[in-house]
Amino acid sequence: MQVNNPLQQALNSVGIEYRPTEFPNIGLHCSLVLERNQLEPLALSLSRAGFFIETVTAVDKVQDGIFECVYFFNHYDEALRLLIRIPIPRSHPVQSSIGKIFPGAVWHERETAEMFGIKFEGCPDTRNFLLPEDADFHPLRKDFSGVL
Amino acid sequence: MKEQAPTYTLEQIDEENFALNLGPQHPGTHGVLRVILHMDGEYILYADPILGYGHRMQEKVAENMTYLQVLPYVCRMDYLGALSYNLAWVCAVEKLCEFEVPDRASVVRVIATELNRISSHLLWWGAYLLDLGAFTPFLQAFTDRELILDLLEYITGSRLTYCYFRFGGLPSDVDDVFLTGVRDFIEGFRGRLKNYHDLVTGNVIFYHRSADVGVILPFDAAGYGLSGPVLRGSGFAYDVRRHEPYSGYDRFDFEIPVEETGDCMARYNVRMAEIEQSMNIIEQALNTIPDGPIRSKVPKIIKPPEGEVTMAVETPRGELVIYIVSDGTKKPYRVKYRVPSFSNLSIFAKLARGQLLADALAVLGSFDLVIPEVDR
Repeated sequence: MQVNNPLQQALNSVGIEYRPTEFPNIGLHCSLVLERNQLEPLALSLSRAGFFIETVTAVDKVQDGIFECVYFFNHYDEALRLLIRIPIPRSHPVQSSIGKIFPGAVWHERETAEMFGIKFEGCPDTRNFLLPEDADFHPLRKDFSGVL
Repeated sequence: MKEQAPTYTLEQIDEENFALNLGPQHPGTHGVLRVILHMDGEYILYADPILGYGHRMQEKVAENMTYLQVLPYVCRMDYLGALSYNLAWVCAVEKLCEFEVPDRASVVRVIATELNRISSHLLWWGAYLLDLGAFTPFLQAFTDRELILDLLEYITGSRLTYCYFRFGGLPSDVDDVFLTGVRDFIEGFRGRLKNYHDLVTGNVIFYHRSADVGVILPFDAAGYGLSGPVLRGSGFAYDVRRHEPYSGYDRFDFEIPVEETGDCMARYNVRMAEIEQSMNIIEQALNTIPDGPIRSKVPKIIKPPEGEVTMAVETPRGELVIYIVSDGTKKPYRVKYRVPSFSNLSIFAKLARGQLLADALAVLGSFDLVIPEVDR
């Protein structure tokens, strides 16, 4: 397969296989499941290839005992939406921050941190974002009952 | 978790500097946004936006409701561009369940959404100039906006937080009164839009308040994930309607207005040109609107298959992405709204540094923020 789009180049430069999905069906050009230590090199490579950050969030897979950290990237020149999933254990929810590579990720990480109780290591700002400054509960966890 | 405040950028805080609290209730912040500004006289040394005053936990609410019950909720996020949110949720669920949408419904959706976009841009136009100290434009914009609200009220039944689209189509068809009304409005508004430009665009005071103020460099745009007119003012022709066409936008011929300078003036010009493009789209839609059914057959109880879907829509403020994780039950397992104002506002702290307070308010206004959308 010839190298023809920025996503393929970005993925190849960090040694990740490029496997496009059917875009019109699910709205994604590519979907990846990665390890935690692969995120930072890939983010750097995506930043160099001109990708922008859409959002950072998480999904609480309470049955499997994991949080899935979800990253969305896209490109301004063509529709190349990339979804990156990084499973992290619920018992030790720590993730590395990409806030220094994509400054826009800081707010997304602050929101994800307070909603799920995931710690983003190296995030330049770790205060609560939407919740009150003294809130220590994590509403988007599936076991959050609303009773404090 | 130990709290860590952002690294303070001042070398030293001397006695001359002070903290100024802007908001949470301030006409210049367009909602309940609070910004703590560290000032040196009239100049901003450091800006720290504080959000969450309008936080309603929309994503958790969606997890506890059926797909249909969520529908009116999403329109409460961006109250000025409610139909775009309405469209995004409807399209996302249709994509997830693979529902068909009749052609007529798609075209009516485009007409209604583009009318909504014009009304949103008109409100921004008036409010932005109000921020800059001009009162007359506000009244003029509201006169025209009122006509759009009347048209949309006629088909949707509400004036602001519309909920008009349903899974698989529309609840009720549009009639000739609406279609003629839209045609008349477009015809009249094209002429009146010239007055808007005569009144404001070339005005020397406006020029000095907006040109070279709050310049967003192309490099920063990608880092902060900007979208919408804020991005297109910095030279990127990124528009979801063109890049990932939905609801039949690929059938229409329209331009993506782009400006290169990245200042407030560029964002102003982009929005003004977008109003014209929206009118072009509506005219084409009116000329090609097909007859036929307005709603396909969909089950009464929506129970999508297990899976995920990502749906992007261009709202008046930028790119909205709805990400739904379904576990095969009647309620979504997880919903994420990627809202445009959130990312657009995140660059404000960087832009405000070193600016005059009055310029910072001009920058804030040029972003066309809807704070309940950021807070969700």
